[in-house]
Amino acid sequence: MASTLSEWTSKNITILTCDGRLITGTLLGYDQLQNLILSKSYEMVYSIDVPPEKVELGLSVVRGDNVAVVGEKEEEGGEEEGDVRAEPIGAIVQNVT
Amino acid sequence: MIVDQYLNIKLTNVSVVNKDKYPQLTSLKNCFIRGSVVRYVQINPNDVDTELLQDATRKEYSPVAGGEK
Repeated sequence: MASTLSEWTSKNITILTCDGRLITGTLLGYDQLQNLILSKSYEMVYSIDVPPEKVELGLSVVRGDNVAVVGEKEEEGGEEEGDVRAEPIGAIVQNVT
Repeated sequence: MIVDQYLNIKLTNVSVVNKDKYPQLTSLKNCFIRGSVVRYVQINPNDVDTELLQDATRKEYSPVAGGEK
């Protein structure tokens, strides 16, 4: 059984990109390279000093190379986003020789 | 947990190891990790039967047994 994103189509997902950004949206489409199409997407920008900032992105296509983690968004998780303070997630460190 | 040929990993019932530092994804239950970003997979040694694994790989790559399969 292949690991696939099919069960998450038209569901709300959060993706963590390789540069440490968190983008949430509804999964419209994907392919085997994890290129993703998200509708109603937004980025949550976390920082220590101020509450998280929500940046609306609308319809977006994310190239698979930049995708690190795709997570299924829990429906009731919406409320607790309000006052979470966190330092930004760092970028993926690649071992390029 | 599901793994494919690219080492993409799909995990169920996940938890964040360092919740104080990274609380952003604590609400996630199931996630997909792209194989290209994986560096290590840590497994509890008690959950790994190295004898079994070694036998399995030996079987797979030995010319006789592999041919018969």
